[in-house]
Amino acid sequence: MSILHDIPVLSLILLSPLLGLIVVLLLPKHRSSWLKTAAFIATLIPLALSLWLYSDYDKQQSGAPFDEQLNWVEVPLNKELQNGVSEFMFKFQYALGIDGLSLPLVLLTALVTAMAALAAFHVKKRWKSFFVWFLLLETGMLGVFLARDVFLFFVFFEITLIAMYFLIGIWGYHNRERAANQFLLYNGIGSAIMLLAFVLLVNTAGFRIEQIGEQANFIYSGSYADIARNMADPNAWVNMSPEQLDMFNPFQMTDTMQWVLFIMLLVAFGIKLPVFPFHTWMLKVHTEAPPSVVMIHSGVLLKMGAYGLLRFGVMLFPEQARDWAVVLALLGVVNILYGAVLAFRQQEFKLVLAYSSISHMGIVLLGLAAFNEIGLQGAVFQLVSHGLISALLFLIVGSMYERTGTTELSKLGGLARSMPFMSGVLLTAGLASLGLPGLSGFVGEFLSLLGLFESMRWLTAAAVLGVILTAVYVLRSVLKITFGPQHEKYSPLKDARLIEAIPMIVLLAFILLLGCYPSVLTDTVQYSIGGLFEQLLATRAGG
Amino acid sequence: MEMYSQAAWLIPLFPLAAFLVLTALGRSFRRAGVFIGSIGSLAAFALSLLIVIDRLGANAVDYNYAFDWIRIGDYTLRIGFEVTNLTAMMLVVVTLVSFLVNVYSAGYMKNDERITVFYGYVALFTFSMLGLVLSDNLLSLYIFWELVGVCSFLLVGFWYSKPKARAAAKKAFIVTRIGDAGLLIGILLLFWYMPNHALDFTTIQSVFDGQTGAITTGITTLIALLIFLGAVGKSGQFPLHVWLPDAMEGPTPISALIHAATMVAAGVFLIARTYDIFQDSAAAMETVAYVGGFTAIFAATVALAQNDIKRILAYSTVSQLGYMMMALGLHSLTGGIFHLFTHAFFKALLFLGAGSIIHAVHTQNINEMGGLGSKMRVTAWTFAIGALALSGIPPFSGFWSKDMILTAALETNPLLFVVGLAGAFCTALYMSRLFFLVFMGKPKSAAAGAHESPATMTFPLIVLAVLAIIAGFVETPWNGWFGSWLSGEPEDAHGSGVVIIASIAVGLLGIYLGWLVYGKGSVSRTVIAERLPWLVKLLERSYYVDELYAAVIVKPLKAIGAALSVFDEYVVGGVVRVAGAATSSVGRLSARLQNGQVQTYSLAAVIGFVIIVVAIVGRRFLP
Amino acid sequence: MLPSYLTMAAILFCIGLYGALVKRNAVVVLLSVELMLNAVNLNLVAFSKYGVVPSLTGQIFSLFTITVAAAEAAIGVAILIALFRLRGTVNVDEFDKMRR
Repeated sequence: MSILHDIPVLSLILLSPLLGLIVVLLLPKHRSSWLKTAAFIATLIPLALSLWLYSDYDKQQSGAPFDEQLNWVEVPLNKELQNGVSEFMFKFQYALGIDGLSLPLVLLTALVTAMAALAAFHVKKRWKSFFVWFLLLETGMLGVFLARDVFLFFVFFEITLIAMYFLIGIWGYHNRERAANQFLLYNGIGSAIMLLAFVLLVNTAGFRIEQIGEQANFIYSGSYADIARNMADPNAWVNMSPEQLDMFNPFQMTDTMQWVLFIMLLVAFGIKLPVFPFHTWMLKVHTEAPPSVVMIHSGVLLKMGAYGLLRFGVMLFPEQARDWAVVLALLGVVNILYGAVLAFRQQEFKLVLAYSSISHMGIVLLGLAAFNEIGLQGAVFQLVSHGLISALLFLIVGSMYERTGTTELSKLGGLARSMPFMSGVLLTAGLASLGLPGLSGFVGEFLSLLGLFESMRWLTAAAVLGVILTAVYVLRSVLKITFGPQHEKYSPLKDARLIEAIPMIVLLAFILLLGCYPSVLTDTVQYSIGGLFEQLLATRAGG
Repeated sequence: MEMYSQAAWLIPLFPLAAFLVLTALGRSFRRAGVFIGSIGSLAAFALSLLIVIDRLGANAVDYNYAFDWIRIGDYTLRIGFEVTNLTAMMLVVVTLVSFLVNVYSAGYMKNDERITVFYGYVALFTFSMLGLVLSDNLLSLYIFWELVGVCSFLLVGFWYSKPKARAAAKKAFIVTRIGDAGLLIGILLLFWYMPNHALDFTTIQSVFDGQTGAITTGITTLIALLIFLGAVGKSGQFPLHVWLPDAMEGPTPISALIHAATMVAAGVFLIARTYDIFQDSAAAMETVAYVGGFTAIFAATVALAQNDIKRILAYSTVSQLGYMMMALGLHSLTGGIFHLFTHAFFKALLFLGAGSIIHAVHTQNINEMGGLGSKMRVTAWTFAIGALALSGIPPFSGFWSKDMILTAALETNPLLFVVGLAGAFCTALYMSRLFFLVFMGKPKSAAAGAHESPATMTFPLIVLAVLAIIAGFVETPWNGWFGSWLSGEPEDAHGSGVVIIASIAVGLLGIYLGWLVYGKGSVSRTVIAERLPWLVKLLERSYYVDELYAAVIVKPLKAIGAALSVFDEYVVGGVVRVAGAATSSVGRLSARLQNGQVQTYSLAAVIGFVIIVVAIVGRRFLP
Repeated sequence: MLPSYLTMAAILFCIGLYGALVKRNAVVVLLSVELMLNAVNLNLVAFSKYGVVPSLTGQIFSLFTITVAAAEAAIGVAILIALFRLRGTVNVDEFDKMRR
């Protein structure tokens, strides 16, 4: 037992950005360098803590050994209606926890945010409010991955939405307000569906009766652990039909309802992911938001969709997910090919990257659809890897835009001459994105395909076609920018400053580490997810 | 004694260390860069040589070491290295050519401001290629397979400000990637079909060799063909050969190292490593043989009509790789590998010679050269040796290996024997054309100020020339040492006098014809161009394969892209916009109801209240 | 007794409601609101005396209501005066700023 078990480390990770937020609030608003430094330091705390936690995480345990719980909201219901009931209430907890699935994502969040804070040098106005929203956004993202209560999860999910809305709307480019509105509306719809699904979950699977002597506690719980346990338990109220119970059972979740819930969750998180027909909002965000915010958006926020889909969609409804594996895989393949073909068409580098994100998130869907351990590992690996790679790519985009004033492919060219370092990093990031072995992109892609191949040969083969197309569009755009004759006006441009180079090198180092030594991630994911997943399947199959 | 084999993992680490140091140096320390790169490859060469000497004795035991790379539940993906006689031979070829190219580049690239970067890339390539050779399973082979591809891409595009170099680099990467995708699917297929999901070559050998019937013939054929697709991409076989001639945009030492001696031979090496899978499937073997044979004659004819010295050699490489594939497809493993071995030396020699010429005359068009023989004696002599070896004239090395392939063809497939002979004739013809146009005759415009290259460039030429002469004697009709060392049993496909006579005859005939046309000038050069202009045009444009791809693949892809972006903009985006517009127009309509009069609002409220009351109370009076 | 009180209160309430909804003059509207409040008071007192469970709560409530009504009248008239100064009219038809 290390010292980490004695301190509320998860809360510290979650709340330390808020501490920074308070410091930022107290600083005078025209001191941009103070504000930037304070915000950066505030992002280092969760980074350091989560790195420590990651290295210390006991991989052999399948539970969540760092759980923290506090009762948060209790809505009492009229207990006089029932005899012998001592408590009858909605109960939402401030419950935090980690497992092999969320821990890498927490680390990813902390890392990408810290790097984005460094990259926020380009913010030219209203530094104070920028960093207030920025740090709030970080808390929201960390909260999403740490929360173990559906209600808490929802609250943090919404916090990210609001913070993003302002970050896009105030500090974005030309059409920022339109982009922000579309972002908020689209994701708001997703959140509404998600909330409805959660309410239904709490009212069925969340219900439990605690018998204490003569007295009984009737509790509607939002706790993820409770919901998951009830869903998996064939003797829980939620899985008992009225015939089995010989009485009216308002808590039963029928098959139809399970399907409805699964599809609702699929749509809600599919919007965030984004899955093919729901992707338009993301393009605007990618083009209009400031680079450091896009780093976070594409690096972390998209992952929340996949995480939610995995945590709630697949893990709570494994049967439905298994039955719909083909649909998921099909959506994945469509995402991959659609994104790749459209990325090939774009003249704006940020749009190329946006479509490439769609394409890469398709691989995550493939991994989920594989429905075996390899595919699941691949999906998680791809999440982390794409988070790092796209953060790196947008970091470079930001630095290049600052110098050249454009991201139009037709106006760029030959930047390798004046900026060899940045071009080299861009090329490497591009290669990572197209899945070059030795860099992290390959492992996620390979594992996902390998997993899917067991059950769906032809779809995998179609997805491999996407691998070729990825090479086509990545090379087309990256080579257009870096290679070729240099435009006259770009020759006096300077290469990366130290403050830009540091986050690039750090992100690149992580990409290389994951590419060369993937066990550092897969082992962590394996021991908690692999076991949990198998167990979940077994219980459901048994019931 | 297996001592050196155990240390084989060190070999790739020398160039890797060189790469890391060179990358850290950046563009500074130009002289040190040359030194570090050369030392790295020299150290690797020394160790490889020790390993081979170690293994020369009979019955050397294969050495294998692997560790878990990824563990997922019951599945493990492993990475490891293995030293067999085949890999030991490849190690020596790769490190030797790499070292020579390092030395050569010190002269050739002397005035390039990014010479350190160049050496870094070469070191990275050497590392990846050695990793590929040493890999003990298909997954790690695939990893290094991709890495050599990316190094090739980086080096082809080394002079990145040239748009042609950029296009060539992109093409090289993407076309080989098509083959790689096939290989990837092949690996996936193999993973799920192999017992215990093992991907290492030893297990593959025992599974497919033992006739266990664990895998059906159909699947075996499929796997073999998919692996072959990877080899087709990398080794420039038809129809994925298009990248290799374009890759000549890279610096010439790179063409010698990557696009002649080592990386392009990786496809042949891959098939040799997984030969048991192929031998299990007659259909796959036939495909390999026919694709190889077709590529051999196809590329040789194209080489006849090219005017760029490097493109001629590139098509010649494609053609020779076709011979190797053909040999493998004709069940002659030794023939294929033997040709790989000899070809590595004489083709690297030819490319480096070409580099020496280009260095002197600053053009690649052979029609602008001429009479260089007297000015560049070392280059001319060594080039002549390389050309004779390539044309298959005894006693040069190319003769012995080509002879072995043709013998194998005559025994099993006469059609391919004829194709092979025709290819050999073309080879001799285009090489003599090249040689006579460049070195003989009167000096043309570009050749005026030409002079011999510095010693750093001629030294590798001499070393390779010596090897091009002697390398063939390891396996001759009366000496089957190489074959027995390689595969454990001597290959009996030897000694047919018909083959020897026929192959010498077509070789000499080709050279004689070339001399008549381009040396002596007794036959007009334009005689064919006048009679059959379309044929020359067809060959010059290499059968319009590029144009075909542009029409069949690139254009439709662009059209799909255009259609999809319209779809994305107007259908997917349109639905979103319509939904948004509908919502706001409903809002605008209902806003009309607001007249701002509080009294109206309260009246509405009262009416609503009354309705509710009536509804609730009135229910009582209903039956 | 109770029905007559209730009828009386209902009639008062209806008159008040009618005035509040229909009258143009804002002063009259305010008066009508007072009328409605008083109708409610009447009900409260009546129930506290003749209801099923007679108790003082109703009367205390009506005292509250009277106090609140007084405050409300004061604020209402104050707003009305301010409005009159601003717009020069007490005609409620012209107070339609809420539309925009």
